[in-house]
Amino acid sequence: MKAFWPIYKRELFVFFATPLAWVLVVVFLVVQGMHFFLLVDHFSREVDVASDETPMSAFFGNTVLLYLVLLVLVPPMTMRMFAEERRSGTIESLMSAPVSSAAVVLAKYAAVVTTYVAMWLPTALYLVILGRTGSLDWRTAASAYLGVLLVGAAYLAIGLCASALTQSQFLAMVWTALVLLVFFVLGIGEFVTREGTVMNAICAHVSVWSHMNDFASGMVDSRHVIFYATLIALPLFVSTRAVDAWRWG
Amino acid sequence: MLLRRGRRASLLPARYKALVIRVAHLTKRYGAHLAVDDVSFEVGRGEVVGLLGPNGAGKTTLLRTLAGVLGPTAGEITVAGYDAVRDSFEARRHIGYMPEAAALYVEMRVVEYLRFRAELKRVPRGSRRAYVDEAMARAGVIDVANKCIAHLSKGYRQRVGIADAIVARPPVVILDEPTAGLDPNQIRHARALVRELGRSHTVIVSTHILSEVEACATHVLLLHRGKLVARGPMAALASLRHERGASVDLMVRGEADRAEAAARGIRGVQSASAHGSEDADVITLRVTFAADADAGARASATEDVVTALVASGLGVREVRPAAGSLEEVFAQLTAADPASAAA
Repeated sequence: MKAFWPIYKRELFVFFATPLAWVLVVVFLVVQGMHFFLLVDHFSREVDVASDETPMSAFFGNTVLLYLVLLVLVPPMTMRMFAEERRSGTIESLMSAPVSSAAVVLAKYAAVVTTYVAMWLPTALYLVILGRTGSLDWRTAASAYLGVLLVGAAYLAIGLCASALTQSQFLAMVWTALVLLVFFVLGIGEFVTREGTVMNAICAHVSVWSHMNDFASGMVDSRHVIFYATLIALPLFVSTRAVDAWRWG
Repeated sequence: MLLRRGRRASLLPARYKALVIRVAHLTKRYGAHLAVDDVSFEVGRGEVVGLLGPNGAGKTTLLRTLAGVLGPTAGEITVAGYDAVRDSFEARRHIGYMPEAAALYVEMRVVEYLRFRAELKRVPRGSRRAYVDEAMARAGVIDVANKCIAHLSKGYRQRVGIADAIVARPPVVILDEPTAGLDPNQIRHARALVRELGRSHTVIVSTHILSEVEACATHVLLLHRGKLVARGPMAALASLRHERGASVDLMVRGEADRAEAAARGIRGVQSASAHGSEDADVITLRVTFAADADAGARASATEDVVTALVASGLGVREVRPAAGSLEEVFAQLTAADPASAAA
């Protein structure tokens, strides 16, 4: 695992040395900023909100914007991680150094998750603004961010896995987007299937929508946490096996 | 665990200490394609081994397996006493490998890249700077240390690749086609660098160009269609070519018939045949020595031929061994089976 640290540092360096990361960060922050502005504007007009909805629960849950943004952001973030190295041949010198497949996969994954966290970091300012103008439950905020982290980390793991399974960055991007889309569509299924059916149960279980609603209202459901932990661990395991497979192919 | 590994290495018999790489019955298969077929050889400390073979002979696959990038389908590889499969980590620590076309992270600066590689290869933090500086100095990339690799010429990238291979001061350095795609000047530099590396490392360098091996190697491995067709010290291969081409070429001014007649009948000469050249009155006379003639007999036969030619009023302008270049030997060895000769 000694190889983890240098690879992690290099991956982070590459992210921020290339314009791609900055473009993604800017797009992300513009979309989230607009989203936040519209929500706050909405809530400031309706003075007597009867529901228990708060700007924060509306920002993180009950909105399609979170997944749409992730759907656009995650594939380009992860597509080059392995595909690029295999196409350019740098993977060969990487694997000729004393490194383990697990260290390579984990280091790359940690780097992309760090980048993802860095993208969300400026949105903490919104909480500060909300906290100054009204009351804010910080524990609910923490739960909402945990949800954001889990969903993002799972999507990034899927993207990394797609990148390890193909040599083409483009294919990696398409595959990632497809898988994320399938999860999203299944999630919508929760509302269109009849309640009580197996399909409805499956859809409800994988629905990012309802997961984020729970997280955004301060509910940390262990089922959700385990679901996302599985979505993180499984692709990472497959990626490690894929890296091993190149050696024995 | 570490201690045991260390002890095992030092308990090896003395003759193994001089061996840095031992390959036994190595086979690598890609699906149905047999890339390396039952190859066995040994490399001693301080040798510069030229791995020769036509394109597609399996050179790169063989080097990748040695470097630990690929696992062997069958057979055994030992690097500095460590098994390349079971003790893959330790084996890889003892090898510096430059892949074909020196693939590098182009978005990094040279010095950044080498520091990253040194850290990856577990050079202790304190000595990292010194190791990187030394590698840059030896590979001749100090003047581009702060340049982005994307902006470097092919020659410089190749040198950065070599600097990367030696940065952790491994006992074995493996270079896959270090001169591919370079201009003649850069090739000269690269060869000089390989020779220089040979003084402090065991070097394995692959190429499909013979003169390259002649220029810098002490030993040769000849690979053809995944099989090892010849191996041994450079001198042995060089003598092989003399044995095979036991003849001399003479540039003679005069008529072909007279020249042939003069050369025939001299003791030690088996045959003499003349053919013309562009220069009308100068012909090339090839004299082939008898099979049983040793080096001394050949030398005196050569003298006799020259004397006879001069005596019959012909002018001898040049005498050179027709022995053929190593290229001819190479062609003979690799064209052993008719299928490949036709290909």
